[in-house]
Amino acid sequence: MKWLIAGLLFALAVGLAVGTAGIRAENVVARRTVEQQYRAIHDRKKELGRLWFQRLQAVSPERLAEMHNHWLQKESQRRQGRVQ
Amino acid sequence: MKSGELLRIRVAFGSLGLVPVFLAGWLGWLQVVQAGTIDRRDGTPVPLSAATADRQGWRTETIPAPRGTIVDRNGATLASDRATYEVRTRVGAPRKVRNDLTLFRPWVARLVNRLALALVADSDMEGRDVLYERHKKRLASAANRAWRIDELPASGAWPKSHRRTADFLVAVGVDRLAVIHALRAYDMSAEYPTLSMQFMHGFRREYPYRDLTHGIVGHVNSFKTDLPSGGVKLETIGVVGLESFAVLEPQDSGRRRYLADGLSRPYFAALVEDAPEGAVLHSTLDLELQRAAVRELTAKCEEGLHNRKGKYAKWGALTLVEIATGDVLAAASWHRGNAPAQARPFAPYQNLFEPGSIVKPLVLGYALEVGALDWAQEYDCNPNHSTYRDVIRSLGRRKAVRDDHDCGLLTPHGIIVNSSNIGAALVGLQLTRPQWQDYMLGYGIGQSLGLNLPGESRGGNHHRSFAEEIKIRSFRANSAISFSFGYEMTATVMQVARAYVRMFRGLGAELRLVKGLELDGQMHDVPAKQDVSPSYRPEVINAIRRAMSDVVSNDSHATGRFVHQQIMKESGVDLHGLVGGKTGTAVSPVRLLDGSRATMRNASFVGFLPADNPRWLAVCVLQSDVVSRFYGGRYAAPPAVKLLLQCQKQMERQPMHQASQFRSGGQTRHAPSGVDLRLPGSSGWSASVGAGVSRDTR
Repeated sequence: MKWLIAGLLFALAVGLAVGTAGIRAENVVARRTVEQQYRAIHDRKKELGRLWFQRLQAVSPERLAEMHNHWLQKESQRRQGRVQ
Repeated sequence: MKSGELLRIRVAFGSLGLVPVFLAGWLGWLQVVQAGTIDRRDGTPVPLSAATADRQGWRTETIPAPRGTIVDRNGATLASDRATYEVRTRVGAPRKVRNDLTLFRPWVARLVNRLALALVADSDMEGRDVLYERHKKRLASAANRAWRIDELPASGAWPKSHRRTADFLVAVGVDRLAVIHALRAYDMSAEYPTLSMQFMHGFRREYPYRDLTHGIVGHVNSFKTDLPSGGVKLETIGVVGLESFAVLEPQDSGRRRYLADGLSRPYFAALVEDAPEGAVLHSTLDLELQRAAVRELTAKCEEGLHNRKGKYAKWGALTLVEIATGDVLAAASWHRGNAPAQARPFAPYQNLFEPGSIVKPLVLGYALEVGALDWAQEYDCNPNHSTYRDVIRSLGRRKAVRDDHDCGLLTPHGIIVNSSNIGAALVGLQLTRPQWQDYMLGYGIGQSLGLNLPGESRGGNHHRSFAEEIKIRSFRANSAISFSFGYEMTATVMQVARAYVRMFRGLGAELRLVKGLELDGQMHDVPAKQDVSPSYRPEVINAIRRAMSDVVSNDSHATGRFVHQQIMKESGVDLHGLVGGKTGTAVSPVRLLDGSRATMRNASFVGFLPADNPRWLAVCVLQSDVVSRFYGGRYAAPPAVKLLLQCQKQMERQPMHQASQFRSGGQTRHAPSGVDLRLPGSSGWSASVGAGVSRDTR
């Protein structure tokens, strides 16, 4: 009987060790996943900052006037071409 | 059980029993005998505590702080740090290529090619082919230097003493997601297991309205500085304009802890401690008015480029000030030539000029305030009459005082409207030398604006104007008369604006360029100076104001009639009674950079609106090297008046708020009213680990 109990206790100890190692490994994997998501979010924040600035530049009155002028010139060239 | 078995079991369990005894003994040795510390190799003691164990398990990365943000009075961002990555790579030469050096160079070329392709991975990029070639060339050069490839033999095995790993900069300012993904894909990839990428924090200074704000917002420069530890640090500081303010300097860096696996890969990151936040400097500038100022000044200065070949301004300056607070709402600068904008002086506070007749209201206002002038008295301003002969010519002045049109009897009101030099000289001669000194001091001529702007020009009177050895008669003959119509002194446009603000509000008034500072989410107002005493009597201010109002009228002798007619013709607005002002035209010898002297003509104008209760003040100056036909009323007045009208229009509308704000750190903050984006934990300051401070370079 006592050998059975000793065996069970040993199995429990091994099970606990394996379980603990497994949980710790899971934790490591989870933490790494969190870290990767964390990085991904910050990568996107950088992209967002760039896009925000790009859009802001694109809609400034000076830029819009420049674009308008460009379109007018193209239109003018197109009409001149048609006349010729 | 046999006796032998029993003995073996006892020995086995006895041995196991020794383990806890040994551990307990070891614990006692460390904690008791060694008294809780052990020594490092360098001799410093390390306390044996749980905190030490934690500390040694964790690693820390530094999160650099951004420079502060500059916003206009409505919150529109004028300058901000945008977070980017600085990417470095550490690559070890694999065993295969080390064993056969004929494979190494092609392997490096392939690697460089891959990295260059990754840097142009975003299909939205313009000129990718050109960029790709440029990156490839740069990376090849960096890899060559890092591995010292020139010193490697063409074939054979890798020399034992030669460096196996290379560490080089891949790119700075990486902010495109596609590029970031492409670069991350190479980090310890199956294809390049010996390559690790380091994404370090960096910032790019952005100016959303750069063309409008070059001088007043300023710019930053980066300098390499040596660290005491032997490294090199790249320091970025503001050199001119608002950027030069120390409060915008990056504050203490934040820290972020992480753990690393066996390959030093970070796998867990704690929150950022002491998340760095740049200060937010709320300037008094108004972006829309700044835009209008730049547009009007540029249009006027460049007018001559098209219709008067060679007859256009050399430089111009225009500033708009709110009189009640001294707030500088707009300040624009223009210079002829193709010099880069950063290399040009910012004319409103750096370019000096002889103000000419725009000081006459200041002189008459001072004289009236100190009792040296009777506003009802008439002065004979005819140069052929006895008054001129007896009062001015008799002093022995070398240069005669002349008006551009003959004037007769003029009251002080008429002197301002006609801009009579003789009339102003007659008034100026009523002032004593100490009073002239007090005049200079009171209006701040020759004194700093106190805005802490680097490179500010102060100007002032000639250094011998008030010298003790100059006799009173000589002072009266030269300086007193010259001061009366704005000669023998120099000032900047912003100094003239401050002088007028002082006349209207009080001699203690100052200009203001910063409304407030936001530090760690707390707003600290910079109040406008309240105590501006001593102030002129209301009747003095009203007399000057009415005279200046009549300058901008259709009176045939009013010097502001041209701008009156122009605005009436262009927009149907009658400026008389709406805008007050004073024109000025001065011809001055100027020393050029090459040491030569040239004669310049300054066209100037100071105007305010509304004429009956001045709220905004604009000062404009254009300097030309074409001496003839360059008048203040014709060249300087239109931009100033148009800016004032634009200001009135804008104030009638609701202030244009830009809800979407772009602040330091590349965070886009949509700021609906009532929402505090700077709540604890919302800073967003954190990023990938395994990186140092990007501004520190090796």
